[in-house]
Amino acid sequence: MKNRIMFFIVGAALLAALAITAAFQWQVFFPAGLGKKPRVTVIFKTLDWDNFFWRTLKEGVESAAKDCDVDFLIEGPEEEKYIDQQISIVEDAIKQRPAAIVMAATDFNRLVPAAEQIKKSGIRLVEIDSFINSQVADCKIGTDNIRAGGQAGEALVGRIPEGSLVGIISYVKASSTAIDREAGVRGHLGTRVRILNTLYSNSEAGQAYSLCARLIATTPDLDAIVALNLPSTLGAAQALKESGKQDRIVLVSFDSSQDVLEYIEEGVIRDTVVQKPFNMGYLGIRTARELIDGKKIKKQIDTGSVVINKDNMYEPENQKLLFPVVQ
Amino acid sequence: MSLDVKIHSIQTSMILAFAVLIVFTIVTLGVFSYYMVGESLTRNTKENTFQVVGQLNRVIEDYISYMDDIALVVTGAGDVQAHLEATSRGMREGTQALRQRISGFLQSIMSVRKDIESIFLALDDGTVITADPEAQLNPAVDARSQEWYSNSSLNTVRASLSSAHVQHLLKDRYPWVISLSRELRDTRSNLRRGALLVDLNYGIIEKLCSSIQLGKSGYVFIVNAEGDIVYHPRQQLIYSNLKTELIPEAMRAENGTLTALVDGREVLYTVKTSSYTGWTIVGVSYVNELFSNRSQLEYYFVMIGLLCFVTAAIISLFISQRISRPIQSLRGLMQEVERGNFDIDIRVNAANEVADLARDCDIAVKKVRDLMRQIKEEHELKQKQELKALQAQINPHFLYNTLDSIIWMIECGQNDEAVLMTSTLARFFRLGISRGMEIITVKDEIEHLSCYLTIQTMRYKNTLDYRIDVDPAMHPYRSLKLMLQPIVENAIYHGLKNREGPGMITVTGRMDDGKLVFSVCDNGVGMSEEELRRVESEGGSAKGTGGVGIRNVRDRMQLYFGSDSSVTYDSRENIGTTVTLVLPAVRQEGE
Repeated sequence: MKNRIMFFIVGAALLAALAITAAFQWQVFFPAGLGKKPRVTVIFKTLDWDNFFWRTLKEGVESAAKDCDVDFLIEGPEEEKYIDQQISIVEDAIKQRPAAIVMAATDFNRLVPAAEQIKKSGIRLVEIDSFINSQVADCKIGTDNIRAGGQAGEALVGRIPEGSLVGIISYVKASSTAIDREAGVRGHLGTRVRILNTLYSNSEAGQAYSLCARLIATTPDLDAIVALNLPSTLGAAQALKESGKQDRIVLVSFDSSQDVLEYIEEGVIRDTVVQKPFNMGYLGIRTARELIDGKKIKKQIDTGSVVINKDNMYEPENQKLLFPVVQ
Repeated sequence: MSLDVKIHSIQTSMILAFAVLIVFTIVTLGVFSYYMVGESLTRNTKENTFQVVGQLNRVIEDYISYMDDIALVVTGAGDVQAHLEATSRGMREGTQALRQRISGFLQSIMSVRKDIESIFLALDDGTVITADPEAQLNPAVDARSQEWYSNSSLNTVRASLSSAHVQHLLKDRYPWVISLSRELRDTRSNLRRGALLVDLNYGIIEKLCSSIQLGKSGYVFIVNAEGDIVYHPRQQLIYSNLKTELIPEAMRAENGTLTALVDGREVLYTVKTSSYTGWTIVGVSYVNELFSNRSQLEYYFVMIGLLCFVTAAIISLFISQRISRPIQSLRGLMQEVERGNFDIDIRVNAANEVADLARDCDIAVKKVRDLMRQIKEEHELKQKQELKALQAQINPHFLYNTLDSIIWMIECGQNDEAVLMTSTLARFFRLGISRGMEIITVKDEIEHLSCYLTIQTMRYKNTLDYRIDVDPAMHPYRSLKLMLQPIVENAIYHGLKNREGPGMITVTGRMDDGKLVFSVCDNGVGMSEEELRRVESEGGSAKGTGGVGIRNVRDRMQLYFGSDSSVTYDSRENIGTTVTLVLPAVRQEGE
């Protein structure tokens, strides 16, 4: 009888030890959700990592994912023009049921149904860089293009006298960013200068080049050109450089690339307005995390833009915006 | 019920004692080890961070010092010195060949050190010699206007270091570099003639720093002596004011630690300032991550503590039950014994002293039971023998007298009376036998008594009369055979016999409050108080055999009806005696 009690006690103690070990083994001790990160799917306009803009945006996403403890997956079409491919990527992403989707839309209108589907599936949606023609998103993060246009206008005003003649090279007539940037430029310039009819490059450098070359040739009293995106900028800069009038005609542009920086160093481009893709990526993920955590957030975040010129391009705070670090 | 509670309280108090002991032990051990482990974890993490930062500093120092050695080799190289001397003398001829040789030399250095982005020799006259003679210089940049060029003369012992920046000396190339520059001095004339620039690939430094992980999201950043960022993984966020970094405060901490609240999070800065490079390396760790192990630890300790407690509680419950249950069942068995049931086995299911105790109790109870049975048997035997003897005593005496009377009647020719008496006698005996049963109905007992009184009145003609007044409702109740007859007999022989004049016997029977009350009343000589007391205490009559009869009645009433029955006397000298018999009213079965 006494032995039986001893057996029972030893048995119970062994059982308890076993239970503790098993609990450790099966991680019963980890409360639900501990160590389990929320998944966020990031859909870019392109996965072209040679593109400085998207590579920097990706760095921002990676940094934020580390800081905010989020698992992320970056997807996107091979090129910006493959809109259908992006739509099907969004549809596949919904099936994976991430906690949030961070999306840069390739098309202003055509991605609206996909975006609505995201919200209907109970997934949080954060738009970055390029937005869609809808208000379904929980947050829109990107450059305030009206403000950016204003910055370009401000830069121009400092370089030309009142009453100067200004030409604007825009890209796509219906593009919301183009409309915003132009509105920003015109809003800041106001009636201080004379503005010619806007030209549209259709986002092609060649088109911009020929438009600009003709403009310079036919308008002898032209004082300034504003180019509203990268292809327009490159075309306009080439035309201006070839015309040899870079000292007389002020070129203010948007976006940057190595070519643009060279043009700035040469003095062809006086100012260029650059966006902050790292911040877009970073804030995109951080906002997604805040949404997942149920925090209150602003519906619209302006990541800001900076006017870059020959004098400030090597400032420490601008170098990172302009030059990629090659490892 | 109170016993149950008591037994339960043994168990309860045992469990309570166990629980207090267990909780005390677990909590003491748990809290102690939790603090010990937590403290050492935190200390280890802090020390570890300090070591990591220190190690990174050493690696960077070694690296920079190695690069400085290369720069020193270049500045002292024969061709370089020859070129410097030539420029000092203002000689132009032959320098072209020297420059080519220098370029080749620089190229050979760069071919073994891939981490060197570029090497430039910038002379005061504007000449720039590069490793790659094909490379075009950026026309927009004058090397002499750059910071490294002027900084090189600040320190002649060591190379001066820039922060991270984009090098744009060459056309179409914008690499991120850290510039290491040295003064170019003509050793003969000891005059400064320009500066040497070694651009280190920034990616190397970045790789070194970004590979360091401090906690889950901690990181390392480097600032130079001016507070400019050399490396920071979130540089863009700082410039955009999306992130704060307390750079001046960290630099003041030099070789120590600093805790501060940054962007709503408590941050631990582990700072190491290198006197060699002038750089300050700062390890940034988030305090909540340092202690994240701690909260997990807390969780483990609580869970293990709870599990241990539950296990121990179950075991203690079992043990206390094992101890208290045998006591409880022993208690139950003893209660059964108290209630008078001795016919049980006292045995409990236990393996300890309680079982021994139960065994002893069993033996004791069995012994008591045997003794009691023995006593009871002896007692009953004795009583029965006595009874039988008494009955035997009554009957022949009465029979003799009656038969004598019958003979006398027959002799006197009173045949009718003799017949009546004989038949009454026969009925008297038939009722008296009663199939050998001691318990008979009231009806039978009264009939028996009336037979007796009929015989007696016939015998004592004119001197004895009687009256029987019994409630007929009492008839079906149980009575004792030969209960009233000895009392009446006693009244006749002791009360009336000595009386002058006719005697009267009145027998009454009434139901009273669930009891049968009989009284036998005579108007005989009665008893003095002294006699009455003696009779009451002895339970018998003062004189003769009749006394024995009455005591026998009382004893039998006690025997068959228990303490609910009684016999009481009331007597007054020369007036008479009343004997009251009380029985519990119990219906005779089958009536």
